[in-house]
Amino acid sequence: MIKVEKLKKSFGANEVLKDINAHIKQQEVVVVIGPSGSGKSTFLRCLNLLETITAGHVLIEGVDITDKKTDINKIRTEVGMVFQQFNLFPHKTVLENIMLSPLKVKKVEVSKAKEKALELLRKVGLEDKANAYPDSLSGGQKQRVAIARALAMQPKIMLFDEPTSALDPEMVGEVLEVMKQLAREGMTMVVVTHEMGFAREVGDRVLFMDGGYIVEENVPNELFDNPQHERTKAFLSKVL
Amino acid sequence: MDFRFDLIMEYLPFFLRGTLYTIGISLLGVIFGTALGLLIGLGKMMKNKLLAFPFLLYISFFRGTPFIVQIFIIHFGVVPAIIGTTNGIAAGIIGLSLNSAAYIAEIFRAGIQSIDRGQMEAARSLGMTHTQAMRHVILPQAFKRMIPPLGNEFIVLLKESAITALVTVPEIMYWGRAMQGKYYRVWEPYLTAAVIYFILTLTISFLLSRLEKRLATE
Ligand SMILES: Nc1ncnc2c1ncn2[C@@H]1O[C@H](COP(=O)(O)OP(=O)(O)O)[C@@H](O)[C@H]1O
Ligand SMILES: [Mg+2]
Repeated sequence: MIKVEKLKKSFGANEVLKDINAHIKQQEVVVVIGPSGSGKSTFLRCLNLLETITAGHVLIEGVDITDKKTDINKIRTEVGMVFQQFNLFPHKTVLENIMLSPLKVKKVEVSKAKEKALELLRKVGLEDKANAYPDSLSGGQKQRVAIARALAMQPKIMLFDEPTSALDPEMVGEVLEVMKQLAREGMTMVVVTHEMGFAREVGDRVLFMDGGYIVEENVPNELFDNPQHERTKAFLSKVL
Repeated sequence: MDFRFDLIMEYLPFFLRGTLYTIGISLLGVIFGTALGLLIGLGKMMKNKLLAFPFLLYISFFRGTPFIVQIFIIHFGVVPAIIGTTNGIAAGIIGLSLNSAAYIAEIFRAGIQSIDRGQMEAARSLGMTHTQAMRHVILPQAFKRMIPPLGNEFIVLLKESAITALVTVPEIMYWGRAMQGKYYRVWEPYLTAAVIYFILTLTISFLLSRLEKRLATE
């Protein structure tokens, strides 16, 4: 589904991703962990070209997104992204947030887009907030709307960049619950998170990143209980 | 010193018509200036420095030269070159539009850049093109923040429009000068003009603060 080959990314002279290779299979939930500044967000953002790639290749369903001829807007409709800071559109209602892209990008009929948006809101448990503005929602509610908004494009892959890190602790659960449900439904997901419980429960594989490399990867229980590298051990001893 | 109210009364119809001209050319100036300013502001923000340069030059030129020089160039040079004869009102509107476009371009740029980066990223991640994201996500938010500085620009423009009297636009200051020439009086015409301008700018300020309050509570 996603193939990452020799991916490198520099910001000026600062090489943030040094040599990333990864293969994410259909319906797989891959959790990315690692210390702050290790390049997790940058890695995720390379997968939908929110960052320009310095070298290497990213193939999504066989299409090389680093190829200049690839229509990146089309690829992005197939790769949903959820941000730490939600990034809801504050001037639009919850329903309008969810409908905007289906209407403007996919040219879906208004009635169909609305029906789909309401269905997604039911799914994330926020049907009653359809006409609310984002500012009136709690953090957990905002993030659930953001997930619904991404799902409205019917993506094949979902990227999550620390989706619960900006939330008050009591709201983390409701967002993770929605993500678990998505995973159960077979969504292919790449999740950057510090929620080790979630990684263990839902993750098929965990990648540990440090200093611009994937230092270690394994199934969750193995990686957490039996880390091989010193750096993984040091990191885990701090967060577990 | 005797103050001749009767002369002011005699000239009042001219001043009132002049006021309509002042409001008219200022409004047209700010409307055309806004449309043009948006294009120039977006042009200046282009990533390609070479393509952005003409827009940068435009802004620098109109902000870096006196309005009276600009309006004389337009009145005696540009307008005759296009329509074969001078036309004060056309020159006035063009001058005010081109001049305010430079300032409004900067207002647009500041407004757009004040919107959190995450908004553009979210829109793009949903498959929108840069243009779609600008139109549906960034500009509606930026525009709300641009209303106070745009209102200020309108006030500045309205005052600046007095200079168009020198290219025969029959606005407030034009009649002030006419009255001075006819009666050899100074206080009556110019105090009258000052009072009218002051009422206009106060009114705009008042309307703006009302609008801002309404937008703030929305
Ligand atoms: N837009 C950017 N410009 C310059 N440097 C950046 C930018 N984004 C990230 N970086 C740098 O890249 C490194 C990795 O950042 P990031 O991918 O956000 O790490 P993580 O998500 O693991 O905390 C950091 O040193 C950060 O300062
Ligand atoms: Mg990060």
